[in-house]
Amino acid sequence: MRSERRAGRRSLPVRQARLATTAVAAAVATATVLGACGGGGGGTAEAGGATAPATVPELTDEPLTLSFIWFEWPPAQALEDFANAEYTTERPNVTVEVNTVPNANWHDAMFTQFAARQTDFDIAILDSQHIGEAVTNGNIVELTEFIEGNIETDAFDPYLLAAYGQYPQAETGKRDESAKTWDEMIAVAEQCQADNPGVSGLAFHQANGSDAAAVTYNTVNGLYGGNLWDAASRQIDGVLNDEAGHRAMDVLVNEMKPLTAAGSGNWFIDEVNAAVAQGKACIAFNWIAASGGLLDPEQSTLGATREEILDTLGFATLPTQETDLVPLGGMGMHVSAYAAAEHQAEALNFMKWFLQEDTQKKWAAAGGVPSRTDALESPEFLEAGPFNQVYADSVSRMRDMWNVPEYARLVDIENTSVNAALNGAMDPREALDTIAVEQQQILDSSGSGGL
Amino acid sequence: MVLTNEPPVREVTPTPPPRRRTSRLGDRGLAALFISPAMLLLLAMSVFPLLWALTLSFTNYSATSSAPAEFVGFANYAEILTSPAVRQRALTTLVYVVGAVTLQTVLGFGIAYLISRRERGRGLLTTVFLVPMMLSPVVVGLFWRFMLDAQFGVVNSLLTSVGLQPVEWLTRQETAMISLIVVDTWQWTPFIMLIALAGLTAVPRYLYEAASIDRASEWFRFRNITLPLVWPLLLIAVMFRAIEAFRLFDLVYILTNGGPGVSTETLSFHVYKVAFLGFNTGTASAYGILMVVVVIVLAQIYLRYLNKLKED
Repeated sequence: MRSERRAGRRSLPVRQARLATTAVAAAVATATVLGACGGGGGGTAEAGGATAPATVPELTDEPLTLSFIWFEWPPAQALEDFANAEYTTERPNVTVEVNTVPNANWHDAMFTQFAARQTDFDIAILDSQHIGEAVTNGNIVELTEFIEGNIETDAFDPYLLAAYGQYPQAETGKRDESAKTWDEMIAVAEQCQADNPGVSGLAFHQANGSDAAAVTYNTVNGLYGGNLWDAASRQIDGVLNDEAGHRAMDVLVNEMKPLTAAGSGNWFIDEVNAAVAQGKACIAFNWIAASGGLLDPEQSTLGATREEILDTLGFATLPTQETDLVPLGGMGMHVSAYAAAEHQAEALNFMKWFLQEDTQKKWAAAGGVPSRTDALESPEFLEAGPFNQVYADSVSRMRDMWNVPEYARLVDIENTSVNAALNGAMDPREALDTIAVEQQQILDSSGSGGL
Repeated sequence: MVLTNEPPVREVTPTPPPRRRTSRLGDRGLAALFISPAMLLLLAMSVFPLLWALTLSFTNYSATSSAPAEFVGFANYAEILTSPAVRQRALTTLVYVVGAVTLQTVLGFGIAYLISRRERGRGLLTTVFLVPMMLSPVVVGLFWRFMLDAQFGVVNSLLTSVGLQPVEWLTRQETAMISLIVVDTWQWTPFIMLIALAGLTAVPRYLYEAASIDRASEWFRFRNITLPLVWPLLLIAVMFRAIEAFRLFDLVYILTNGGPGVSTETLSFHVYKVAFLGFNTGTASAYGILMVVVVIVLAQIYLRYLNKLKED
């Protein structure tokens, strides 16, 4: 399925590098709130969990700790700090804790608790590939009615609110102003690598875990006119691996991969950021919400101050190619079906509060990435970080992935084979055909079995 | 001395009081009492989970799903046994087990043989060699991951310092499996060494003395005295290591995550993905049961061979 281009798209905010040696490309990702189910066609399984009331239930005045679970990255601490500073002014008896686990253990940390029907968190921030599993298993509370009654859904881009939906993936890069297309960007990276011995032209996610390598391929696939599937007919084989899909895989493996650092085949968020911060990559792709650390002089060799770093480092959206689409990425808040009633009520109240316009703007000013359109367009957000304009401009270019409960297995299949192709363990053409066949089997069997 | 014809009077001993029923336990009772905590623990922690997994293996149960489990017969077993993916992981595991255990056996026995010939410093050397075995595999995996890093790892630094090309140890199909074998060998060679050393020190000295008198060569003594006497013990160590290597998970998880692609995805790692990625608990249970069966059958065949060796 390819999303239609949105009206009112803004121009690309490509910033000219004053020192054109190092640049960073960033994809956006942050946490806001999403409905846990409903909407987003293509899903076949019935949600089997509890349903949230249409209004926020009566809240307790007793001391209460509202617990989140997320993976370890800067936005997690930012969310905890922000919530304890702002939410407590409205609910002084509440303390917010954002518990984190390493990214590799994130899924297991949540779902082993779901399996025990007892969670030590009230709000789980689920990644795209977790949502379908949690919905069909009834591990999270259905929020559809609650969202309709308490959240101004018109204030959001539909992709930022849809069930199974995620966030726009933007690509940024401090590249030559003339590099408008993906092909040109590759050429710039190649030249940069040639001009700067010891610096690789590109750095991007290639790891075997999570959705790292898969999202990278999806980015290229979308831009070269490919499609992940045909949602209406649930067809992947023949769609993903059509001519455009193969062209995208060829570009990724044979044109982009040679411009990456040796041994970068297992890189994910931290490794890509490290390469940028050490001036070892000309152009890189990463989640915007993970980019804040790049401006920290203590973590960077690019400059002694934030300003010095920004002289060398810039952020921009994905270039276009055959299309201007960008894939989705991101996470949303979900209420644990096993949390105590008063905690669930508090969680609903928190989410209602968090999605108000003024809260979203404060969250943006505090360094977070909001999801409301008015907050995305507000000066609070756009001026809070040099990469925020990139996020705002990318929202209108989003395209969805598979909005089905089998998402996790589909992305695992894709991730494994793209990683194999990137690291020479599989021929690129064979890898894409394998992905298409295996994903089709998953869809056709509606996710039964587990091998 | 006074003799008398009177029959000897047997001293009347008081009849013991009827044995009272006491709460004292007999030997068997005491034995049962003493082993019962261990038995209960074994039942609770090993036998019950095994039986429970066996039960689940015939269902489509998912631990995270609210839907009730349905009986599916042998469908899970059939799916596993006919799956090309499982066959591929089995082959990967076989390559890993054979490679790692062979290397560890050769190195472990070699080190033990050299240590056994030393008179001084044997204890210190043994202790030093045992250090890797005492570390957690996760810790070992993490620091080897840094050491093998293609960009800043110490291994590549050493290679480049002597004019060699750096190697992508963990991200290339050709080297990722070798890296796993090397790391596992680094950690577990001491185990083989320890067992072999125990065998070597138990060889009677008079055999060597007799051989020396007969002017037997070093190789002759090794082939006809040392090896035959240490061999059975060494084979037991090999069996333990093979079983351990067969269920390798932690190093794969830390070092390669099964990659590139699935080229280092062992059976245990695959079971983990089946069990936790989508919580296909029934399938994963069948997978686990099959792995246990394979280990038991192979171990039995191996033990029979060992017994035959002993009888011979």
